[in-house]
Amino acid sequence: MNAAAPTEPVPAGPAAPASAPAPSITPVVVRLKLSLLRNGLRQSAGRRAAYVTSAVLALLFAAFQLLGLIMLRGHPHIASVAVPGGALLALGWAVMPLFFPSGDETLDPTRLVMLPLRPRPLVRALLTASLVGVGPLFTALLLAGCAVTVAHGAAAWAVAVLAVPLALLVCVALARAVAAANIQLLTSRRGRDLAVLSGLVVAVGAQFVNFGMQRLGTAGLAQLDPVADVLRWVPPATAVGAVDSVSRGAYAVAAAQLALTAAALVALLRVWARSLTLLMTAPDASTLQGPDTAARERAGAGRLTRLLPAGRTGTVMERSLRYVWRDPKTKAAWVTSLAIGLIVPVSNTLQGAGSPYFACFAAGMLGIQMYNQFGQDTSAFWMVALTISSPRDAYVELRGRALALLVVTLPYATVVTVLTTALLGEWGRLPQVLGLSFGVLGAMLATGAWMSARFPYSVPQEGYKNVAPGQAGLAWIAVFGGMLSAALLCSPVIALTVWTNVSASGDGWGWLLLPLGALYGAGLTLLGLRLAAPRTAARLPEILTAVSKG
Amino acid sequence: MVSTSAVRIQGLWKRFGQQIAVAGIDLELPAGKFIGLVGPNGAGKTTTLSMVTGLLRPDQGTVEIAGHDVWRDPVAVKARIGVLPEGLRLFERLTGRELLAYSGRLRGLAGAEVDRRAAQLLDVLDLAGAQHKLVVDYSTGMRKKIGLATALLHNPEVLFLDEPFEGVDPVSAQTIRGVLERYTASGATVVFSSHVMELVESLCDWVAVMAAGRIRAHGPLAEVRGDAATLQQSFLALVGAQGRAAGSDLDWLGGGAR
Repeated sequence: MNAAAPTEPVPAGPAAPASAPAPSITPVVVRLKLSLLRNGLRQSAGRRAAYVTSAVLALLFAAFQLLGLIMLRGHPHIASVAVPGGALLALGWAVMPLFFPSGDETLDPTRLVMLPLRPRPLVRALLTASLVGVGPLFTALLLAGCAVTVAHGAAAWAVAVLAVPLALLVCVALARAVAAANIQLLTSRRGRDLAVLSGLVVAVGAQFVNFGMQRLGTAGLAQLDPVADVLRWVPPATAVGAVDSVSRGAYAVAAAQLALTAAALVALLRVWARSLTLLMTAPDASTLQGPDTAARERAGAGRLTRLLPAGRTGTVMERSLRYVWRDPKTKAAWVTSLAIGLIVPVSNTLQGAGSPYFACFAAGMLGIQMYNQFGQDTSAFWMVALTISSPRDAYVELRGRALALLVVTLPYATVVTVLTTALLGEWGRLPQVLGLSFGVLGAMLATGAWMSARFPYSVPQEGYKNVAPGQAGLAWIAVFGGMLSAALLCSPVIALTVWTNVSASGDGWGWLLLPLGALYGAGLTLLGLRLAAPRTAARLPEILTAVSKG
Repeated sequence: MVSTSAVRIQGLWKRFGQQIAVAGIDLELPAGKFIGLVGPNGAGKTTTLSMVTGLLRPDQGTVEIAGHDVWRDPVAVKARIGVLPEGLRLFERLTGRELLAYSGRLRGLAGAEVDRRAAQLLDVLDLAGAQHKLVVDYSTGMRKKIGLATALLHNPEVLFLDEPFEGVDPVSAQTIRGVLERYTASGATVVFSSHVMELVESLCDWVAVMAAGRIRAHGPLAEVRGDAATLQQSFLALVGAQGRAAGSDLDWLGGGAR
């Protein structure tokens, strides 16, 4: 990398200041950041388009926010929006590096570890470099909006000119300090596991924000007053708070708030510099495991084995179930399916728009886990491929995986169905909803097995993506084509359900859907496995190639 | 077994788009030997081994292992071979012990027998202390060793190892070596690829030299080495990389001046 070239090596030891001052590395690091950005964009037109689109959208959003905040000037409770707004931005900056550790290469100081740099100039350079980009511009616009909306009078404007850059610096320094403090965690295996799961945190967090917004929409901005009263003393929201205080004539309070912001900035930079020094001198030991954790990991294993059937079936089931718990990607997918499978029927019921048939969502969502079975193996699929020599082997392999899924899915779908029916009090419809659920589950398992054999694709093990680059079309065909076929396969059960509900004579026959749906689902699964097995056995090398791209 | 060759390859081809990875290989590997497949990076060693073991479908050609066609008789072939591929993952979220238990049972061995063999293999390969650790937390050397253990577990006739010593520390390398020597002494065949000539020279009694997708030379080690002092020298001559002196341009390098 050309970044190192212009820098002069700095002599080691505390007696160094006597030597000629080395040229500042700040412009070098800023240039490095720009070239990384440019090179990243140069890689593909798709990436360029995605970057430009997201940048335009982010800036448009920021611009509208700015406009909105300006238009709300003078609203009695506007400070209660502006102050928490500053805090929310800072929270975003603090959390972002945890989710996208590899998003910004200049963010990873371990890459600079071989260069003879000192923490202080390095901190200065990295801080400046992190002000470059769409993110900081977006933040600056929003912060400006927050400041403008509460600024009244010349003094307030003057403070705002100081407060906005200060708050921006606190945000950026916060992100850097968090990243540096956690980089040992983030670059270790456990940390990367956490990063994969963190997508869930974002999804759940978004739900809470959504919920909060709805409350605000109905209850008004005054709701936020107590929150704002606390946050105006929490940096960097203090910066916005200072502008507001000046507008209201509380100059002493404003001074204190500004001082607090500056102090926070200094403290963050100190923490950052200290962890940088530590980072560049200490090795990573975070994956070293104590003997006790190893013993714990083993404890549960024996019991599990005894409950499962013997032979390949039990072996495959055991491995699949272990992966649900231990593999972060698989775990994230399962947790998502389990959560959505429960939330959709229950929340619809609670909002009064419920129908017991929403409970089939649980079966459908969990059935998705049967899709791309071999992609979930990653290139370790070779171990499976080397032990499949006949369609029979492939059948037992796929059946084991389907059984492992059923161990969780069958009770879960049943519980969700019973719960939804209970919440609605429509016990009479329980048998037919259960029957339909089982039918859906069977259809999903059948199409999942077939699609696993026919349209396998790689699941990258790192990051939040679930499809390897270039295989998105394949994944789309597999999942949506499969779900469509599953719906078609289910149509007899669906038709029967509709008939029992519409027809006058159908009411008495609803219970019959339970055995019919269960049998039909089981039959579909067996048929799907039977059809998928020879395809799997015949396409082992092709499947291995397809799933080895991650 | 009638045939004396462990592996018979005929007219093997593989193209990836424009690039020809393997350009028509004909090769017979004798049974009961320690066989080295050597060649520079990108020579097609991994592609060849993948096709021989049934993990990659060739464009053309046939492969027979112990007299059985790899693509027409997978039942007979897959039971007879052990494989340690390069660049493919293991089921890394299992512990070393669980991985062996899984792989052995998947091959249809009895549970008790798998556990007995696994315990011995872990012991011999110095992995007993790490057997309850997840493989994802293993070092490179430990991964190669656990991969070797899974490849040996079902006592195969022919063992294919792709770069088994790559990134392995000297202690682990010696352990792997000891196990492999004991294994071939019993009459089994080991085929392994490497680009480290000293290693191949000290381990193998039969070598095949590959470059640019073709076999350049093959036969007993002494034959391939010929008049050259070392295998390294005859190898460089074979792949045509001799006489490229890396010197005259880098006159500033060394000497302490900046």
